[in-house]
Amino acid sequence: MRKPRKDKAGIMLAAPMGLWVTLFFAVPLLIIVTYSFLKKGLYGGVEWEPSFDAYRQVLDPDFIAVTLRTLWTSILATLTCLALALPTAYAIARSRHQTLFLFLTIIPFWTSSLIRIYAWINLLSTEGLVNNILLALGIIKEPLHLIYNLFAVILVLVYMYLPFAILPLFTAFDRFDFTLVDAARDLGSSKLGALVRIMLPSVRSGITTALVFTAIPVFGAYTVPLLVGGMGSTMVGNIIVDQVQKTRNWPLASAFSVILTLVSLIGVLTVLRGGRKDKKSKEVRT
Amino acid sequence: MTRILSLVLAAALTLLSSCGGDGTRTLHIYNWTYYMPDEVITAFEEEYDCDVVIDYFSSNEEMFAKLQAGGGRGYDIVFPSADYTSIMIKLGMLAPIDHAMIPNLQYIPDIVKQVATYDPGMEYSVPYFMGAAGIAVNTTLAPPDYERSWMIFADERLAGRMTLLDDMREVMGDALKTLGYSNNSTSPDEVQEAARLVADEWKPNIVKFDAESFAKSFARGEFAVVHCYAENIIAEMSAEELEKVDFFLPETGGSMYIDNMVILKDAPEKELAHQFINFIHEPENYAIFLDEFSFPPTTNTAAAAYMETTPLYTAEDLEGYEVIADLGEDLDMYNKLWEPIRYMD
Repeated sequence: MRKPRKDKAGIMLAAPMGLWVTLFFAVPLLIIVTYSFLKKGLYGGVEWEPSFDAYRQVLDPDFIAVTLRTLWTSILATLTCLALALPTAYAIARSRHQTLFLFLTIIPFWTSSLIRIYAWINLLSTEGLVNNILLALGIIKEPLHLIYNLFAVILVLVYMYLPFAILPLFTAFDRFDFTLVDAARDLGSSKLGALVRIMLPSVRSGITTALVFTAIPVFGAYTVPLLVGGMGSTMVGNIIVDQVQKTRNWPLASAFSVILTLVSLIGVLTVLRGGRKDKKSKEVRT
Repeated sequence: MTRILSLVLAAALTLLSSCGGDGTRTLHIYNWTYYMPDEVITAFEEEYDCDVVIDYFSSNEEMFAKLQAGGGRGYDIVFPSADYTSIMIKLGMLAPIDHAMIPNLQYIPDIVKQVATYDPGMEYSVPYFMGAAGIAVNTTLAPPDYERSWMIFADERLAGRMTLLDDMREVMGDALKTLGYSNNSTSPDEVQEAARLVADEWKPNIVKFDAESFAKSFARGEFAVVHCYAENIIAEMSAEELEKVDFFLPETGGSMYIDNMVILKDAPEKELAHQFINFIHEPENYAIFLDEFSFPPTTNTAAAAYMETTPLYTAEDLEGYEVIADLGEDLDMYNKLWEPIRYMD
């Protein structure tokens, strides 16, 4: 008798969220998938005639190059985020001033991301702060080209999404019982060995979350490549906007969105499966 | 991206102004971001005892998509460019203009009507402004003998300090014009030749195709030469800073635009809409708009007498400029050639 009632409560509790997701995520996604298989309208929109044109266009060598570039940029930015976030999150978790540091991590979100991107333009430009300081210190003779290239895109992407990597990692580190490291060392492990073999596996779920949280928004980035990118740093997100706002090719925009979603989905599933397998093997071990 | 900010502000203003009504008539306008001085709107509201609510768009495509999706219900006046005006006329989306209600149409010069081949008799559209994108040169940064033509973008001495607009029709149109063709050419050979000119001679010297943030960087001295609309740099630079700027429209001609005022077929306030269009073209009011953007009186010659500023270019400079027209199916040919230029290194 108790079990079914509990189930009902579960459904009741999940219903609002479920409805929300269906309405505002699943339905639009369905529309996008449908549009991607239709003929483009002459003046935007679609004609209700099935067509694979959009996917044929996606396979255009230029577009494939942009897709690969997007993938490459995302991987680089995500891994850099992770490399910076791991020690940071560890330090915050170990610090006595946790609240202060977490607060500092979140502060940038108080300002619109666009304003922060414009701030970076001011920092990185030829006449910008960074170049001026380096010139004044005599470290460089000529201003460096720090902006309007792939380097700037990755740098600003890392800056934008670093908190998304730090926060889940912090949670994982915070939950970790650091006396286990001491125990491992007592049992003869080196410091590095204890960290890598005892601590790292325990925070793996945090790493997974951090990867997913940074990789997905980075992969769909649009404003960063538009504003600090140069000639060769267009990403898939920019193509989608161009197809809707300039070229009037909604099916192609939809097809790119579908690909973006699929690649993200595959990425998430792979990472999640890796995490689950890890959990299982741990259960077996214990 | 100041556009997004102004959109937010605009939304807030819209809310405010729509609350302030006292039961009188309300005119709904759908206009470009930053394209009409508030002063003129307020004056109209006072004179006709009505409210004006404005929504903003930043591209014709955005505006058109919204109208097509049914989001245009309730708008009285919309400001499409020439190509989209012709599309909207073709699709029967517009109400006819009653000339008797707009005596100020007399101030619109014949040249504008001749250029507006899609509606020379102003049956469905009234030109708001005819102008063109040009080139702004920071004279303190450019070599003294820079070329005052589109070929300035081929000048290697300025490599890495120039930007072209992120707008295919503008850039390709200017390249076509440089080669002596129409900027609306549908000849594959001509369009290909233009694409080669952009790809081989201009692109290697520019930092990027930019329609968002270049004006700020130009004002700061990061870029020495930018392809731009006059209002872009006016918005970012003081009168003093503008003294070192040479803004010109190349004599070889280029792409020109006409933005029109049209009344939608289902507009709820057609009479007020006509009154508004007439009010805008009242030379005294029109001069306020021109002064705000340092525009020349191309589209309302009588306004010149009331202007207080010197425009950045003159109506005569537009000689040889051709309005960007709707290319229909042929747009795809341009798109294909543009993709590698825009997206590849």
